[in-house]
Amino acid sequence: MSTYPSGGPAGEVRGGSIYDLGYRGYEGRRLGRRGALTALVAHSLRTAYGLGRSARSKVVPVGITVLAVLPSTLALGVLMLVNAVGAPGEAFEAISPIRYATLFPMIASLVFLFCAAQAPELFGRDQQTGVLPLYFSRAIGPLDYALARVLGLYLSLAVLVAAPYLLLLIGRVLVAADLFVGLQEELPSLLPAAAMGLLVVLTVGSISAAVASLTPRRAYSTAAIIGVFLITNVGATMLVSFDTGVFGQVAALLSPSDVLDGANSYLFDIRPTNVIVANAGNERFTYVLTTAVWIGGALAVLLYRYRTLRV
Amino acid sequence: MQAGPEASWSGNSPRRFVVVGVDSPDMSLVALDGLTKRYPGDVVALDGLTLTIEPGIVGLVGANGAGKSTLVKILLGLLEASAGSARVFDLDVTTQRQAIRQLVGYMPEHDCLPPDISGSDFVNHMARMSGLPRAAARERTAEVLRHVGLFEERYRPMGTYSTGMKQRVKLAQALVHDPRLLLLDEPTNGLDPAGRDEMLDLVERTGTGFGISIIMASHLLGEIERVAQYLVAIDSGHLLRAAHLDTFTQRTGTLIVEVDERGAELGARLGADGLTTRADDTQVLVELQGDQTYDQVLREVAALGLALVRLEPRRSSLEDLFRDPAPAAEPDEAVPA
Repeated sequence: MSTYPSGGPAGEVRGGSIYDLGYRGYEGRRLGRRGALTALVAHSLRTAYGLGRSARSKVVPVGITVLAVLPSTLALGVLMLVNAVGAPGEAFEAISPIRYATLFPMIASLVFLFCAAQAPELFGRDQQTGVLPLYFSRAIGPLDYALARVLGLYLSLAVLVAAPYLLLLIGRVLVAADLFVGLQEELPSLLPAAAMGLLVVLTVGSISAAVASLTPRRAYSTAAIIGVFLITNVGATMLVSFDTGVFGQVAALLSPSDVLDGANSYLFDIRPTNVIVANAGNERFTYVLTTAVWIGGALAVLLYRYRTLRV
Repeated sequence: MQAGPEASWSGNSPRRFVVVGVDSPDMSLVALDGLTKRYPGDVVALDGLTLTIEPGIVGLVGANGAGKSTLVKILLGLLEASAGSARVFDLDVTTQRQAIRQLVGYMPEHDCLPPDISGSDFVNHMARMSGLPRAAARERTAEVLRHVGLFEERYRPMGTYSTGMKQRVKLAQALVHDPRLLLLDEPTNGLDPAGRDEMLDLVERTGTGFGISIIMASHLLGEIERVAQYLVAIDSGHLLRAAHLDTFTQRTGTLIVEVDERGAELGARLGADGLTTRADDTQVLVELQGDQTYDQVLREVAALGLALVRLEPRRSSLEDLFRDPAPAAEPDEAVPA
């Protein structure tokens, strides 16, 4: 096959307007796949909170985060009031309804709502707008994309989940008569709180990501995510309350919200307030193990979805 | 080709990409060998395509469904070939995907722009996704948006853009990481004639003089004819024709003589003079044997007392390419111009 010269001399511009200074090349650094992955994780975190978007898209994520720190704020307010009248004793601690151990059941539905609202933004939108081929013909492939997106969702959930725990921790330390003693008293709760936060983020995040990736259309996606957490919970409630034995036991494990409640009661070593966890008859440690199964399964579905997605 | 070519993109490398181990002037842009793509249900999109494409502006032409988009997607690594191999810049599309993607920009045919994001934010994000650092991405975004002619509109959500603006953003995101090869899939899709002209100008300007090669898929011969230097025609996954456009649009060695009447008579007389002719009532095609052919024609026209309407060397058009007996199939139907 014969050849011919490719183009004219460099910098030659034909027929441009006066604005056109010609095309210029790029000789700078290229960060490749790692750079693109980091940028996509950061972008996903921003997207989850509506940053760089219209004010309207910030309402839901920011609103939910504000609601999530309300219980902690309330608890701190009460603690300060009690402090003003006299030192809060053991008795007060025991009856206080808002503690590290009881925080998760209070904010659980907010975490589900956050995912139902924001996971479709991260996983459905790009499938709808047809932008995926542009990603996949760049530095990252489908699996990179899925991992970066889910990491971004984890990070945004971490902010949501950590905020109430941290607020409670910092508040209680500051309210304490002696800062050092206060810190010493709070530290033992830090480990189970961190472990619980991690389980919530990974479990709810992975499941929501998998569901959202399978249902590109936003409305369906939101409904499906709420459905997964709600319907399984209703099912478990029915099976457990009718005392169906092993069916109830399995149903409790098939309901992610109850699995997390069970893990919470194991990690903080408290009597479960959740009737399903209290009555299903599973070992409480089983719930911790089950979160791992849920996380692994959901991630497998997510990656499979993107690996087989035709773009 | 020697083994182990490696595209180097390090910070202080020269502008044109450096290929180690390959003599770059000889290097082909794209080399296909028996490339085949079968979709489930026994649909054959590409059938044993073997072809070498040299750098430049290349028109990839074929009817809708001829396999153009499939070929483009295989070159990008978005699709896996069923059989055969494809190389871009002598890099294998399956095993060296990552290296190829640094060198290639892709403008898809379909809609791919999120409506609530501004053009500027979108192109900037795509630059980051190509691995450009934050500051560089911003700078390049401004640069390519200016190059494609998008000014104040760049800060508006893309949902408010006209089709012309959308096509420009699509081109800008393909260019933002300064690729060495642009793959454009029907870049004038949906544009009005003026927008079409502007887009083709832009494609031509981009592909001329910046060391960027372009493969432009289109079902419109006229567009290919206008900007491309090289033509690849495919039909039902087969290679129909691959050649320089010069070969087809240059003089053909034929004179067109148009007269008001008695064309057949003129043809006969010229034939008697030893020229090969083909004539009907008003048009005579005469084989050009040199400058004296013009004189001969004029003499005979004058002798017959005819009015000469037109006398000029015939340029063959791209349509001829498909009318000529091609090795493959029925080309006229394959590519509507």
